[in-house]
Amino acid sequence: MATPAPPLRVPGRMLARVRRSGRLEPWMYLAPALAVLGALLVYPLYQLVLVSFYDYRQPQVTGAEPLRFIGWGNYRALLGDPQFWEVLANTVVFAGACVAGTLAVGGSLAVLATRLSAWVRTLLFLAALGAWATPAVTGSAVWLFLFDPSLGPVNQALAAMGLTGFEGHSWTYTKWSAFGLVLSQVVWCSFPFVMVTLYAGIRAIPSEVIEAARLDGASTGRIATSVMLPMLRPAMAIVTIQSIIWDFKIFTQIYIMTGGGGIAGQNLVLNVYAYQQAFASGQYGLGSAIGVVTTLLLLAISLAYLRALRRRGEVL
Amino acid sequence: MLRRLRTDSAGLLITLVVAFPLYWMVLSALKPRTALEAGDPAPYTLSPTLDSFRRVLVVEDFGRYLLNSVGVAAAVVVCSTLCAFLAAVALTRYRFRSRATLLVMVLIAQMVPVEALTIPLFFLMRGIGQSVPQLGLNHLGSLVLVHTAFATPLAIWMLRGFVAAVPRELEEASWLDGAGSFTFVWRVLFPLTAPGVVATSIFAFIMTWNDFLFATTFIISAQENQTLPVALLSFFRPDENDWGAIMAGSVLMTLPVLVFFLFVQRRLASGLGGAVKG
Amino acid sequence: MRYRRTARVGALVALAALLAACAPAQTDTSGPGADRMEGTLRVWLFSEVDQEPKERVVDDAIAEFEAAHDGVDVEVQYIPVDSRAERFQGAFNDPSSAPDVAEYGNTDLAGYVEAGGFADIGDELADWDAYSGISADVAATAQVGDGTYGVPWFLGVRALFYRSDVFDELGIDTPQTLQEVVEAGRTVREEKPDMLGLSAGGAYTYGFLPFVWAHGGAIAERDGGSYTAAIDSPEAKAGLELYSQVLSPDVCPPQTCAQMTGNESVQNFIAGEAAMTIGGNFNMNAVQESKVAEDTAVVPLPGTEPDSVAPAFAGGNNLGVLAGTDHRTLSVEFVKLLAGKKYQQRMYEAMGNLPTLSGVQSDIAAQDEDVAPFIETLDAGTRFVPVTGAWASIDAEGVLPTMVQRVASGDASVDKAAGDAAASLDEAFGGE
Repeated sequence: MATPAPPLRVPGRMLARVRRSGRLEPWMYLAPALAVLGALLVYPLYQLVLVSFYDYRQPQVTGAEPLRFIGWGNYRALLGDPQFWEVLANTVVFAGACVAGTLAVGGSLAVLATRLSAWVRTLLFLAALGAWATPAVTGSAVWLFLFDPSLGPVNQALAAMGLTGFEGHSWTYTKWSAFGLVLSQVVWCSFPFVMVTLYAGIRAIPSEVIEAARLDGASTGRIATSVMLPMLRPAMAIVTIQSIIWDFKIFTQIYIMTGGGGIAGQNLVLNVYAYQQAFASGQYGLGSAIGVVTTLLLLAISLAYLRALRRRGEVL
Repeated sequence: MLRRLRTDSAGLLITLVVAFPLYWMVLSALKPRTALEAGDPAPYTLSPTLDSFRRVLVVEDFGRYLLNSVGVAAAVVVCSTLCAFLAAVALTRYRFRSRATLLVMVLIAQMVPVEALTIPLFFLMRGIGQSVPQLGLNHLGSLVLVHTAFATPLAIWMLRGFVAAVPRELEEASWLDGAGSFTFVWRVLFPLTAPGVVATSIFAFIMTWNDFLFATTFIISAQENQTLPVALLSFFRPDENDWGAIMAGSVLMTLPVLVFFLFVQRRLASGLGGAVKG
Repeated sequence: MRYRRTARVGALVALAALLAACAPAQTDTSGPGADRMEGTLRVWLFSEVDQEPKERVVDDAIAEFEAAHDGVDVEVQYIPVDSRAERFQGAFNDPSSAPDVAEYGNTDLAGYVEAGGFADIGDELADWDAYSGISADVAATAQVGDGTYGVPWFLGVRALFYRSDVFDELGIDTPQTLQEVVEAGRTVREEKPDMLGLSAGGAYTYGFLPFVWAHGGAIAERDGGSYTAAIDSPEAKAGLELYSQVLSPDVCPPQTCAQMTGNESVQNFIAGEAAMTIGGNFNMNAVQESKVAEDTAVVPLPGTEPDSVAPAFAGGNNLGVLAGTDHRTLSVEFVKLLAGKKYQQRMYEAMGNLPTLSGVQSDIAAQDEDVAPFIETLDAGTRFVPVTGAWASIDAEGVLPTMVQRVASGDASVDKAAGDAAASLDEAFGGE
């Protein structure tokens, strides 16, 4: 045995052995994950792109008609379809509103939580935990019941307060009311993640730092923006990115609450649109093209955000 | 003091608003069917009954779907955590050429909207089903496969922090004791990162438990292989919805997650902390 | 170093092999090899308004079938009509996951056959005595080209349901024309604002189409082998215009009605919340079990002129055997049982579905005068939707409901909505 080497600036002692036993060892540990991700994430992604270049509709799937490579045909059809642009706009506005709403509610409640008495905070966190734990499907079912035109307590309460216009009022009838309804459900079930994470982040800020700022005569607002916010940035980055990722690909809530996309498809977002085109209308090539667009859009937003963070010197 | 009181009452009010949908769900599951159909607006019930639960469990065979969901989620948690833990070991305790590239790829993989992959995955599962029916369409195996893949990137990312946090000295000590790298990973590293594993598993569990899209697309005709979300949706009928049954089903579906959450709530923040610190 | 290079080359070769093998998959339609005589027979039937009676009949049929066939387990799944397109497509894409027997709407058949989803069971049916009791017209609703893809199980035609008590109270006469139907609806809503004048929803295609047909319009014209949209013809637009008057605050407020499907439209009537609806004979039982049973009168939906009948849609459901079944013999046997005389009779009693076997038809016509308005409607002539695979996607995309809803919500004028719908239709036909 060689004498112990002086401490190296390497992740671990294993490195020493790695040099001896070849470079295979890390790959052995990586193998299961790589196999799973390769087969079930990378390969389908490749297939998604491939299918989007084919005329791949129901007859082609079942083999009744031959496959035909049509290049950008599906994309041309998509970009030339005004409905696609409307759906795209819907998605961006709706998801953007969901992200903003979730961050605003979660952030302000995190701040509020630091000022609450312990027992109130516990209650708030318990309620939030319940909302967080609620699956999208049950959340949507509960929302549909709460806002049911005739049997729902919301309309009943509004009517009892004298707003008789709400008797039998349908919340899913107009486009933005339906989106608003879904938005409230999304915010309800996703703000707890933001709240808990940011609360933990605030708590992790050493109190001396804040005390010092206060002694320097900084106001509360000043402390919040100049001291706390920069220290919270890594946590903010996580919750923002996660919210963007989650909200841009919402499917279940829209599908269930608006009955698959709302009146005349007014509440379609990209994922639901792709699903309807593929699995209801049998246009798998077109559906795949929508999927590619969604993926690129989401990657672009996420990467742009990551880059902005990195440029400011934040490391995730 | 007065200010404290004001913030506290604001906090309480918000708590009530947040908790209201859950309260209404449980309440409606316990209300008698007649009261629900009459649109009884009372925020309480004097004659609670388990009738809705009985209807759901006995008539609609909800227990079966509950078992299916539990089975799929448990399998996904085990598989994805195992894959992710081993990958996290490789990515934090070894230094090799493609390490940085792989890390970036794991990060990017998290951002892939898996919903967009429904189409290719559907056809992939169909292909797999032709050789291994249990992993193909119409079988729960297909759901386990896709969710394992979806849960793994985030799990790797989160576990990385936990694995890296185990001090190097332990590794050296174990090395001096003559343990091989695998023994160290399994006997020392794994137990020490258990809290992180638990935190990570929550995400895999919830994601799988909540999935509606893949469950509804993959399980084509095998009613006995349906999972909870799809079964719950089948309670929505073209005529009058049986809200009692829907709410009872919702309670049954939410409860396991809630219990899981309460059980690990302390780990939630720390798990995310791990992910944040990375 | 060399090692790494070899590894890299190996990986590249593997990748290339993988990519080459990966054109989008096509289903192997060589057909199932097996025809097993035991195991689970999966059956899809549609879920319906008030379906308990249907379930009871089906359960009896299953009990009878299972008693006659050892080791066979029949499992029925009731699937929602609204999302049937997704369900059937999934089933066609993976024949091994498909059910064995399914109920389907006859309008969907052309598309299903195009997708290769159903088995041609013509030979088996030729040997079945009862099959000759189905008239050629009706049998044709289960045929595409030379193939027979199922047995017509029941027919449905729609007529006008109205509340005689409300009409008496307000002094309204039985409407003689479509225009009068709309006016009657308006009068009711004026006098009784909590009631819908005519409950007919924006997504109720088969309630809406008679308006088009009565004005002499059509969805599309057959033109040699293909179809051309005709929904933007002046006649069709007159029908759309009149129907959009129904979906207005003074008859059936779009707030409530724009989203309603046929089932929901009828549900309002059954709940006593509407003075009129366009209902099918298959809704009669639900009506007769409701609190409005005593006060319901049924007449054929009138046309544009007095004493005429608006052409009704000749809808109906068939029972077919999926192409991917590995229980073909059993499946056909089950179809024969459920579509046979005994259970057609029972389905009529349970659901009010018009039987397809002429023997059963004449039996019930003799027994039950409630069927009269529907038989009259049938006799006056019925219409059908374009027999093309494109219809399934037109239906799934909701081209016609979208058109109606856009007019009702004021989102587009009649001309604009009809023009856009015609464009969508032509696109769908052209995609053939």
